[in-house]
Amino acid sequence: MTTAGSGPTEGPAGSAAGVGDTSPAPAVRLSAITKRYGSVVACNGVDIDLAPGRVHGILGENGAGKSTLMKILIGLIQPDEGTIAIDGDIVTIADPLAAADLGIAMVHQHYSLVEPMTVWENVLLGERARLDRVAACELVATISDRYGLGVDPLARVADLTAGQRQRVEIIKCLRREPRIIIFDEPTSMLTPAESEQLFSVLRTAVVDGGRTVALVSHKLDEILHATDEVTIMRGGRVVDRSATSSATASSLAQAMVGRPVSLRSEAAALGLIDAAAAAAAFDLDDGPALEDHAPVVLEIRGATVLGSDGHKMLDDLSITVRAGEIVGLAGVEGNGQRQLGDVLSGLVHLDRGMILVSGKEIDTAKPGDLTDARVGVIPEDRHDSGCVLDMTVAENLAFGALTGLSRNGVIDRKAMEVRAEELMKAFDIQARSPNAPMGSLSGGNQQRVVLARELSADPVVLVAAQPTRGLDVGAIEYMSERIRAAAIDGVGVLLISTEIEEVLTLAHRICVIHEGRIIGEMAHHEADLERLGLMLGGVSA
Amino acid sequence: MKTRGLTVFIQYVVSIVIALALCAILVSATGGSAGKVFGALLDGSLRSPGAWGLTITTAAPLLVVAVGTIVGAKAGMSNIGQEGQLLLGAAATAYVATTFDLPGPLLLTLSFIAAIAVGGFWAGIAAVMKFTRNVPEVISTLLLIFIASQITTFGLTRKWLLLSEENTSRTNNGEPLPDTAKMPNLHIFGNLVSWGAVIALVFTVVVGLVLARTTLGFRLRMLGLNSRTARRFGVSAVGIGGGALVFSGAAAGLGGGLWLTGGAAGDRFTGAISSNIGWQGLLVALLARERVALAVPMAFVFAALRTGSGFLAATGVDRRIADVVQAMLVLALLLPPAISSLQRHRKGSGMAV
Repeated sequence: MTTAGSGPTEGPAGSAAGVGDTSPAPAVRLSAITKRYGSVVACNGVDIDLAPGRVHGILGENGAGKSTLMKILIGLIQPDEGTIAIDGDIVTIADPLAAADLGIAMVHQHYSLVEPMTVWENVLLGERARLDRVAACELVATISDRYGLGVDPLARVADLTAGQRQRVEIIKCLRREPRIIIFDEPTSMLTPAESEQLFSVLRTAVVDGGRTVALVSHKLDEILHATDEVTIMRGGRVVDRSATSSATASSLAQAMVGRPVSLRSEAAALGLIDAAAAAAAFDLDDGPALEDHAPVVLEIRGATVLGSDGHKMLDDLSITVRAGEIVGLAGVEGNGQRQLGDVLSGLVHLDRGMILVSGKEIDTAKPGDLTDARVGVIPEDRHDSGCVLDMTVAENLAFGALTGLSRNGVIDRKAMEVRAEELMKAFDIQARSPNAPMGSLSGGNQQRVVLARELSADPVVLVAAQPTRGLDVGAIEYMSERIRAAAIDGVGVLLISTEIEEVLTLAHRICVIHEGRIIGEMAHHEADLERLGLMLGGVSA
Repeated sequence: MKTRGLTVFIQYVVSIVIALALCAILVSATGGSAGKVFGALLDGSLRSPGAWGLTITTAAPLLVVAVGTIVGAKAGMSNIGQEGQLLLGAAATAYVATTFDLPGPLLLTLSFIAAIAVGGFWAGIAAVMKFTRNVPEVISTLLLIFIASQITTFGLTRKWLLLSEENTSRTNNGEPLPDTAKMPNLHIFGNLVSWGAVIALVFTVVVGLVLARTTLGFRLRMLGLNSRTARRFGVSAVGIGGGALVFSGAAAGLGGGLWLTGGAAGDRFTGAISSNIGWQGLLVALLARERVALAVPMAFVFAALRTGSGFLAATGVDRRIADVVQAMLVLALLLPPAISSLQRHRKGSGMAV
């Protein structure tokens, strides 16, 4: 077997010296691709060319159709209309195996690795031939060296960080010597430093061997940093394409959203690292002076939660939040944020430590004690602990307010509906009626129901865990404004987020969580991206 | 929504027709006459004089068991031990009714209280095991059936417990119930309908209203649909979930009391008295798909199948054939809900892609 891609004929036209229209047939040409789901058109006559030797960005909001398009390219979905041409030949990609035969591979957003197994075992997973440990390790080491991945073939996947795991996925993908590689939202689990490394891997893959790389993302910053050319999608259509060198953050943002953007709260949504600068311009200390004077509304002291295996999910974690303050808890996914959210939702009992709300100790073993102390929560996964999909919108809005809506234990359904209608209006919730099942609402509207319920309960503390995840730009903007407004009204907000930009734009004070501990803290005005980046990676600085 | 209702109705009709056709083939193949068999089924359940009164009387315990099961299921508790809870409820009723010498209404009330307490206690064991040791209630309630059966068998060997003073039968039977402990009947168009049916209906209406209209029902549904969200809003899984499980057991116990005193099961307690009333009540709850109002017609249909096939056996058709016919019709009734649940699952997974 020869090393595909090393052939000199493929012409590495790769240096980013401008968009060449001199290249021969594109490696991939998608023509007039349309895919419908019922009345929803996910992709509407999409034309995209991917040239060899280039990193091609596909930018769009959630729901813009970029994932659908990529699933069509690797054969997970069949298009209703349109053609796919690989090197000028029209092909049908029936399934991912057919895509693999055509040299198309994808690194998915979520990894599929077997944790208890080693790296080389994972790389060979699915192989039918005889397993040769030495050869496999050599293969992993070779690829790892060539791309500067630094992956130890004998390491156990369970011991690796998210960034290292992604590199294992990349090795799994590269060892088949694909000519076309799709990266789907590759940085969602990575620290800034790891993202930088990833981008250099992409560059190597393109320059070294003239591969074609498609980078699917909703983050402007990523697209600007790592791509040569960019296609912007909105509502299933291609709305713009350009050479990345001639694009700016605001031109891309405008094309993606379809209107001029202020790059203020949206900056977070769009993943601009220079959001810090944008946030600085937007004076956060505008509100009433809070430091020192405002009372502490939430105090977590030495919170420790043990996992089922005795591992510390939260390790002596302490945080205080003052009235009117937004404290941002930044951190890479999986460092205890979920457990902290559960603790503050009253779902997990603390093994050690205590929680005080407005100075009063909470009994974490008693269901609803935190809610009774007026701690509002926008949970990380609203379907898990934020709403009941099989109950109506009105019922979902009534959680926690039942006493006021009933007499002698009998619910006043009329009052419940009236209240729901008021909240639906105030929070602009789009639903057929208050009696529509919660499950029939879109994700953004479900999130608004949760927000409306939590804010209408007059909270003293609001815990917002990944409040904008999976929402589109408009909804993100709305959510950010609401959180800011709540703080101005004197609510102490704990914002738990993996999006550093979101934390930077919203928070007065930033804490960093790593392996269940707070490893650093800084006021917003002294926020320093480099130091923040180090802390996210677990280095206290 | 309307077309969906129609689709489900057609599914019921089609599956029942298929079941009847298969039964007809079976009956003919074993040398019987299909027409006679179906005629007998109808005679026994509805057509012959007094038949539908007996069917309604039989439906009463089925309904009570089913409604209790629905309450448990709504709270996310899968009680499947109704057969044992019902057996113990009937035993408690028999014990009180044959031990104490009290005026009629008082004696009946006291026996039913005993039945409710014992049935609830039996499910309560499963609740305690669930919330202290994490034992799934599906397993514990099921296995407790066998213990319940052993206990009543033991009770039937001791005269101070359940065994009749002048037992002559080779299988041990209980003391005949005094007349004061027999549920009085309503006389409607020549049919005798036990007052137990009235109790069952009132019970159903009350439970339906509590589930739909009260904060208790609201919190119970919340717990069953999303226990984590419920917990955040102060719904205690131990209190409300455990309570719902105990309630379902208590309802099955009451079902046992109604079954024993209703007259359709003979005049005394025997070890075999429950004869699948508990299981069939569970099936009624499944078929009603957690809807209390639907449990009423479903309980009636099951009771009709029961009385019909009982009569069928009395006409000389092989008892086993009668059982197969009954089982086929039950399966036919189970098919449409199974289909729609499958469709829901497929749709769910399809959307996830």
